[in-house]
Amino acid sequence: MSAVTGAGGGGARGSAVWWTALALIGGFVLSVRAAEESDSGDAARPLSPLLAEPSGPGLPSLHLAAKFPDDLEVSESCVEMLRLFGERYVAAVNCLVSSARPVRVCQNCYQAYSSFNDIYTNISSGQTQSGNVSCQDSLMRSDRLMLLFNLYSSLTDIWTSALCTQCLTPDQKSLTNSTLDFISYLNKSLSCFEKYQENHTELCMDCKATYKGLNEMYSTMLKNKGYCIDIEDAMNVTRRLWSKKFGCTVPREETVPVIAVSSFMLFLPVIFYLSNFLHSEQKKRKLIHPKRAKSNHSLMNIQDKFS
Amino acid sequence: MANITKKVSWSGRGEERTPLLNGSEEVRYSRQSSGGSVFHIGRLSTVDLDEDITPEEDPVRSKPKEIPHNEKLLSLKYESLDYDNSENQLFLEEERRMSHMSFRCLEISRWVICGLIGFLTGLIACFIDIAVEYLAGVKYDLVKENIEKFTEVGGLSISLILWAVLNSAFVMVGALAVAFFEPVAAGSGIPQIKCYLNGVKVPRVVRLKTLLVKVFGVICSVAGGLAVGKEGPMIHSGAVVAAGVSQGRSTSLKRDFKIFEYFRRDTEKRDFVSAGAAAGVSAAFGAPVGGVLFSLEEGASFWNQMLTWRIFFASMVSTFTLNFFLSIYHKKPGELSSPGLINFGRFDMDNVQYSLYEIPLFIIMGAIGGVLGALFNVLNYWLTIFRIRYMHRPCLQVMEAMLVAAVTATVSFAMIYFSNDCQPLETVTSEDYPLQLFCADGEYNAMATAFFNTPERSVRSLFHNPPGTYNPLTLGLFTLTYFFLACWTYGLTVSAGVFIPSLLIGAAWGRLFGLLLSLMTTGKLVWADPGKYALMGAAAQLGGIVRMTLSLTVILVEATGNVTYGLPIMLVLLTAKIVGDYFIEGLYDVHIKLQSVPFLHWEAPATSHWLTAREVMSSPVTCFNRVEKVGTIVDVLSNTSTNHNGFPVIIQAAASEEPGKLCGLILRSQLIVLLKHKVFVERARSRLSQRKLQLKDFRDAYPRFPPIQSIHVSQDERECMMDLTEFMNPTPYTVPQETSLPRVFKLFRPLGLRHLVVVDDENRVVGLVTRKDLARYHLGKHGLEELHLAHT
Repeated sequence: MSAVTGAGGGGARGSAVWWTALALIGGFVLSVRAAEESDSGDAARPLSPLLAEPSGPGLPSLHLAAKFPDDLEVSESCVEMLRLFGERYVAAVNCLVSSARPVRVCQNCYQAYSSFNDIYTNISSGQTQSGNVSCQDSLMRSDRLMLLFNLYSSLTDIWTSALCTQCLTPDQKSLTNSTLDFISYLNKSLSCFEKYQENHTELCMDCKATYKGLNEMYSTMLKNKGYCIDIEDAMNVTRRLWSKKFGCTVPREETVPVIAVSSFMLFLPVIFYLSNFLHSEQKKRKLIHPKRAKSNHSLMNIQDKFS
Repeated sequence: MANITKKVSWSGRGEERTPLLNGSEEVRYSRQSSGGSVFHIGRLSTVDLDEDITPEEDPVRSKPKEIPHNEKLLSLKYESLDYDNSENQLFLEEERRMSHMSFRCLEISRWVICGLIGFLTGLIACFIDIAVEYLAGVKYDLVKENIEKFTEVGGLSISLILWAVLNSAFVMVGALAVAFFEPVAAGSGIPQIKCYLNGVKVPRVVRLKTLLVKVFGVICSVAGGLAVGKEGPMIHSGAVVAAGVSQGRSTSLKRDFKIFEYFRRDTEKRDFVSAGAAAGVSAAFGAPVGGVLFSLEEGASFWNQMLTWRIFFASMVSTFTLNFFLSIYHKKPGELSSPGLINFGRFDMDNVQYSLYEIPLFIIMGAIGGVLGALFNVLNYWLTIFRIRYMHRPCLQVMEAMLVAAVTATVSFAMIYFSNDCQPLETVTSEDYPLQLFCADGEYNAMATAFFNTPERSVRSLFHNPPGTYNPLTLGLFTLTYFFLACWTYGLTVSAGVFIPSLLIGAAWGRLFGLLLSLMTTGKLVWADPGKYALMGAAAQLGGIVRMTLSLTVILVEATGNVTYGLPIMLVLLTAKIVGDYFIEGLYDVHIKLQSVPFLHWEAPATSHWLTAREVMSSPVTCFNRVEKVGTIVDVLSNTSTNHNGFPVIIQAAASEEPGKLCGLILRSQLIVLLKHKVFVERARSRLSQRKLQLKDFRDAYPRFPPIQSIHVSQDERECMMDLTEFMNPTPYTVPQETSLPRVFKLFRPLGLRHLVVVDDENRVVGLVTRKDLARYHLGKHGLEELHLAHT
């Protein structure tokens, strides 16, 4: 914290800038709705009035940190990057939250996420657009809080555990074909379900083909590791509909043959052991009686042998 | 004179024909023995009781008595190992010739051998693991596909038959190999290795052929879906590897690499075998320390500190060899963090906590394990007796194994079929074979995760699957069926271990125990996940069955990689052993007894101080003079009824009637080598150039000394004389006649003796104590009992 100094030419004072930038991020979360569209166009927007005049009535103590020497201040371009980071973060989080249930995070938010990813890469790559101070040093390596990193990693963790990359093309710019196929197939199945909503037995009959196809598609995706949380969730919901709500499970019909075969198998060892017991000859052991010294007389034996 | 022993033929297999017993020529029925199969030795000792019965007049004498096989017999086919070094003149000469440097080299080669043992054992474990994984994968995929196909269209009974047939086919191949090629490879091999380390030479137990059959058999029986594990056989495999590598040659392959010749004797070989057993344990469980302690527990009487350290080295090498090669197989080369064939998986730090109030629960679990283990052993005991008595033909044994395999599949299938326990699976890995059957889509049959998998995987899923994966009914049914299946399976003529099935039974009821606990108590106490109780149950059940203590604790601690559970595991095993021992011995001891092995326990029976060497020993003893006629020696050695192995050498006082004084002990094997090389006094005189016999000549013949029949001695040579002075052990251990049995025992067992000469106060030979003379006394239910000797 000590290393974060007031921004250069802006006249913003000390760490107040820093803190305000964060407050701004928080503010965005609450206020900005259409974040996805805003982040690309507003890159060149001048500093917001909030940032320029940080001395809000609620933060009087911030004034205490007056002004740090010039060489420790954050350059303007870095502040700009910081702002962008905030905006894109908010956009991404917003998107994630709104597609939480049913899960559509990968389909809906990959653009927001990738632009957020870009700005982070920009900051952390260490290249500075102007001046000799890298933004990586001033923004990310200056304090133990490592806020940018933590924010970034929390989003990345969510992204990784959702396995979204598996549904996206290698450049992360669009959904893979198989994902799109799956979605269309899913819609087909769902519309079929809709059609027969009244009669479950008919539904089980008529939608079986599409549902089976969907299942097969899913299992091939599982095998190829080409599935993400969206697909997994959609499949889960569909399966639950199919099995639980519509009750299209396979009935247990073959109890009699299974019992018959099983009891036949279980009967075999009984016969086997019985026939062995009755017909096999019992193995007898021949006892051997060792020679023992029964009395002192046995000494004679040794004598006999050698005389 | 006695016709009972005439049927002993000198056929085929070398080791079987020479029982170590010094006796059996004279048949005397003591009065007591005409009673039951076991007679009790009362306080009235047997010394003078039968003076009035002269053997020649005894009518029963000529009729050999036959009884059904039971556990109170000692078999004649087992010999003792010569752990005691024969310090004859040849030995002293060789020692004189050896430089300081060659002793150093010996020490280094011991280390090299231990490294090799570890390496090869690890490789074998790796091979078994990969082969089982592959074969089981093929089988389960096939059956799974079939079941999935027939679930909808009907015809699941065909899947059942397919499963049963596949199982039987695998098991048949394995059982055929064992029953027809090498019967000693049956079972886990731990009892056999225990006997070997105890000093009993079990015929063919450490041969290359045994190893091959064992490895092949294990792969077949595990892939065949029997309720068995591949861990026990690893110990046997390690021991065979050790016995082979340390000799620097293979008698079966007729290859002699001319290395490690110094180690060609029982003393050295047995040290290496203990290292091999340790390496086997270590490879099986990823537990190097546990392996060392296993060897310590089973063969501890002949240990020293340097040997311990070498054995530890072998264990470490073995576990890391396995690890390394498996990491390559799993395409993560160099990742050395999953040692052992069985991987219990790691217990997360959140779940490992246990509290003080859980200790009594663990102890209760230990007691349950002890009772269940004892039940297992009793059932298996009766089953084994039945098998020995009635199922002695190899084809019957193969059929039995196939039946068990088929029934295992049937029972598993029926359980899965009728189970209503459907659970969603969190992640489906390629290692699992989830079956859906009649469950809703996305859910799987919970019974199938336990039954439709190799036993090890089932253990792992019982330990680690999150709470709610199994419902109590599933676990209860699984425990019940698996208990009987495992009990039925152990003792079949297939190579297979009992560790994993025991762990599986225990893990199932342990998990059930944990589930019930959390059902009974509401809220206040937080019972951590049932995996912990599954582990304790597994420990209790295994401890109740095999009754190992220290080594098992360490093995389990190492296999789970978790020292936190050290105390509970120890308590559980302790309780299980105490409770189990109240009913019956451990499974391995039961089987050793049923094999009629002359096994020496740690101590002599407690109430045997009144027995003296005079009553224990065999007498009279066949002795040789220091310079003996060749004809006499050949006659004694060829006598089929007296298959003696050690002969006291005496000095006959000239022209006196007194028995000679003891001056040494010579072994049958030495005499045979001497006869083969024709070391006769006359020949030495006539041809001075004749090469002097060295210790090497004795080693070259080891361990399969030719039978006496293969040595031709001409009529002229029979008249020659043989001087035994150079070759006999000049200082055999002796005891006076009045020595008590425990005292004899204390000398005999820790020194690993094979013959102990009983002398009178003038150093005249009175009798000879051998392993069977000591092993026949044991403490039964009614006090001290004596075992019978029998041909088996």
